[in-house]
Amino acid sequence: MRPDNDIRALVGYIVETWELSPFWADVAAAVVILAVAAVVFLAVMTFAGVLTWAERRVAGRTQSRVGPNRVGPIGFLQWVVDGVKLVLKEDFVPDAADGPLFRLAPYLVILGVFSAMATVPFSQVLIAADLDVGALFIMAITSLVVVGVLMSGWASNNKWALLGGVRSAAQIVSYEVPAALSVMTIVLLAGSLSMQTIIGQQGGWPWEWYIFHSPFTFVLFFVFLASSIAEGNRIPFDLPEAESELVAGYNTEYSGMRWAGFFLGEFANVYVMSAIATTLFFGGWQVPGVAAEEHGDSLLIQGLGLVIFLGKAWVGCFVVLWARWTLPRLRVDQLMGVCYRYFIPIAFACMLGVALYALVVPAGSLPDVAVHLVTMAMGAAAVVVLFRRVGHHARSVGDRISLAEVLQRGQRFEFDPSVQLRRYGAHRRGGARESR
Amino acid sequence: MTDAVGREEIVLNMGPHHPSTHGVLRFVVYTDGEIMRKAVPEVGYLHRGIEKLAEQTTYTSFIPYADRINYLEAVFASQAWAMAVERLLGVEVPKRAEVLRVIAAELNRIANHCIALGCVAMDLGAYTPFIYLLRERETINDLFEELCGARLTFNYARVGGVSHDAPDGWLDKVGAFVARFDKVMAELHALISENEILVNRMLGVGVTCAADAVAYGLVGPNLRAAGVDWDLRRDLPYSAYPGLDFAVPVGGRDGRGVAGDCYARWVVREEEMRQSARLIRQALAALPDGPVMGELPKKIKPPKGEVYAAVEGARGELGVYLVSDGSNTPYRAKWRSSSFSAMSMIELISPGLMIADLVAVIATLDTIAPEVDR
Amino acid sequence: MGSIREYFETIARSVVTLGDGFAVTLSYLFRRPNTIQYPDRSTRPVVAMLPERSRGLIEIDVTCCTGCMLCARACPIDVIEVKVEKHPDLGRMITRSAVDWSKCMFCGLCTEVCETGALRHSHEFEAGMASPLSLVMDFIDEPVPIVKVKKGEPPPERKPLGSIIRARLPGPWDPPPERREKPLPPVAPKAAAPATAEPKDGGTP
Repeated sequence: MRPDNDIRALVGYIVETWELSPFWADVAAAVVILAVAAVVFLAVMTFAGVLTWAERRVAGRTQSRVGPNRVGPIGFLQWVVDGVKLVLKEDFVPDAADGPLFRLAPYLVILGVFSAMATVPFSQVLIAADLDVGALFIMAITSLVVVGVLMSGWASNNKWALLGGVRSAAQIVSYEVPAALSVMTIVLLAGSLSMQTIIGQQGGWPWEWYIFHSPFTFVLFFVFLASSIAEGNRIPFDLPEAESELVAGYNTEYSGMRWAGFFLGEFANVYVMSAIATTLFFGGWQVPGVAAEEHGDSLLIQGLGLVIFLGKAWVGCFVVLWARWTLPRLRVDQLMGVCYRYFIPIAFACMLGVALYALVVPAGSLPDVAVHLVTMAMGAAAVVVLFRRVGHHARSVGDRISLAEVLQRGQRFEFDPSVQLRRYGAHRRGGARESR
Repeated sequence: MTDAVGREEIVLNMGPHHPSTHGVLRFVVYTDGEIMRKAVPEVGYLHRGIEKLAEQTTYTSFIPYADRINYLEAVFASQAWAMAVERLLGVEVPKRAEVLRVIAAELNRIANHCIALGCVAMDLGAYTPFIYLLRERETINDLFEELCGARLTFNYARVGGVSHDAPDGWLDKVGAFVARFDKVMAELHALISENEILVNRMLGVGVTCAADAVAYGLVGPNLRAAGVDWDLRRDLPYSAYPGLDFAVPVGGRDGRGVAGDCYARWVVREEEMRQSARLIRQALAALPDGPVMGELPKKIKPPKGEVYAAVEGARGELGVYLVSDGSNTPYRAKWRSSSFSAMSMIELISPGLMIADLVAVIATLDTIAPEVDR
Repeated sequence: MGSIREYFETIARSVVTLGDGFAVTLSYLFRRPNTIQYPDRSTRPVVAMLPERSRGLIEIDVTCCTGCMLCARACPIDVIEVKVEKHPDLGRMITRSAVDWSKCMFCGLCTEVCETGALRHSHEFEAGMASPLSLVMDFIDEPVPIVKVKKGEPPPERKPLGSIIRARLPGPWDPPPERREKPLPPVAPKAAAPATAEPKDGGTP
């Protein structure tokens, strides 16, 4: 843990430089903490908002349609406008609902998810709090969501909401186990719970990432991915808020900004889980070819690390969004069955496998590197097979976009400016059009 | 109801407003937590008095109403009506009109199953197949718009034939659609039909055994999925079907699951779409030249009598029992709809299922409110 | 042993089938979307892109109307309002020619019986109004004499489809039209008769 990026050290630095008395030192500490919290909060809100836009865009393009494209370039400002709309909506609390609990529930969800962001390492220095128990803290704090969801289900005074809340609580609590097992296996390998240390033990090149450490960690990554999708109530595990079965599950009675709290909480959870997966399995901010110690000196490399981390996290988010629009949802007993009968035994087996591997094969030796490369080859083979199928499907029906078409973006449609400027119903506001 | 330890039954209302009841249907569901004890359907929210309207409109004017009995398979109801009046009048329909009716009917069957399968997938959480199938449906709607002018309620059949002949180039467009359709079905199959999650949601769920299905009057793909090999196009042939060659898929014969479960209903509908494409191809090849309207008296006044005419619609047997009193409006028209029988089966098969299964059952039985309530 | 085999078979089957599904949805990112943003991205107005037989809003060209009223009789829901009255000098005149678009079900039975082509389905569909009463479209401003078409001769040339609707379509917030016949013009005083000119009452409002 580098001492420079600790909040305490920063406060100490301020106190020393300005020679503050103890009272003002406390005030300075409070201001710094609040400032950092505000930055983290805003960052998460922005990520969650942009993720809603990305979700709609991905939904549109995978469904052979366009997605938001009116507000801003490729509809990028859609999430801003949606946020404004939600803030302006009526704050509606049902008459028979339990008022205080009803109002409190969204805040617990937001708290649980946004707090986890405090330990996500964006780059070597960009981390709000590099706790010694980072991984454990994340698993623990995201469990606050359960309380919020149960509370909203109960307090809504609505049977559908109650069913949704109870299902969700059971689901999140159950899927904590395989997720925690995956995380603990990585902790086993890294030897520390601290997020920065875990990244420090990996490297920039793919064969140095933990996902390719052995076939066991490879499988464990998918267990972790599925478990975090389940914890985030995303399809294929979104029965608690299944729109077509439960109207909206535990969200049913919420509207306006309270509902946005749940909504943003869910999307922030997607981002947080993806960031954690990047940290644990994909080497975090490590730049290929640059050792961890050399990061601190150059702003360029720090920036590169940040870009690399965000890129990996966004790819992870894309996979979660992609899964939503591909898969149907599991029924609640099947969901629990998959957890207890498949994920947990597999996670245990892989944890044992990794432990035995670490015992038998010395790190850095030739067999170790060979296993890394073989696992990487496995992963690459899976990706190649997938993309071959993608190409087959893209070419099957004949509507594939060619590269030439993409390069001619502006000329893809033969625009007629008079049509382009015409608005819906313009012929109703003054003058008859010429007859055709 | 409270039991010995004080647990209460939850009464849930899957009300007329619900994202996954198809149309305005209502189910009062008595559950023990997640498992249902009883699901009682309530119908009538979409009753429009079509049978009464039939007594006040002329025979030709009723055809637009017939379209709206089940707007997703509009051709079948109007075809059944036209067949009934033609039988009363003793009018012969020209061959070209019969084959055009078959083409329209099979296109409509594909369009209907697009929505049916799409809605099953959507209710079970997979939103994307619905959109892909709707894209195919858009092409079919465009084809119908070129043929007769409307995209949903076609008003295409007439007493004695059809209203419009195929415009120039339309037959080629239908052929192109059918050629592309096989690839689309292959893509759908790859995406969702064998998806382990979907299959597990539907295997063994909501089993309708063959004896119950026949006793409750189930028809169409639901009946065939239950294992009963019955299809009006082959067993009581009408129109141009005698000359056409197609297979009738029956559930439980191959693949996974038992006959009569939700997965069998999915598989049967998917196979029916492929068979419809096959029928359209044959019909296009077998289309003779000639008029599209038969010889009709100036005013349609069938002699006194009764007739029952049924067609194999996309949901099953859709038939009308028509009583004529010699005037130019019918005396009584009773419509036999397939969804009504399917609705009545839901109360039988729902005890012991989970609420999420009820959604799968309703969707795969393909019950639709306008046909239930008329 | 069998169940262990089944266990791993289930896992393998899940991976394969889910993976195939993922491949299909990912392939769509490389394919042209099926939709375009309406109406900005359409190359021509949608009305011009519809097929010829498309059944849009009904349009009556009274310069071709013979006043036979077959359309009003053919309509299952009595949507078409036609009234023909006889004026002593000017002959039979159409005093009302209107269509209630709010009730029309676009079945096309009326257009099938119109022999001159006066009543046709245009391709127009953009006619949203603030009140359903405004959806009653009146096609004449004053009484129009009927057209007499001799047997074997072609009917007069109809105005282009849709042009009459576009010319006459009121704004959405305009007050709805009056639902009554247009009064017939007064009878001109005859030269021989003494000077009392009685305006004939055109019809009861």
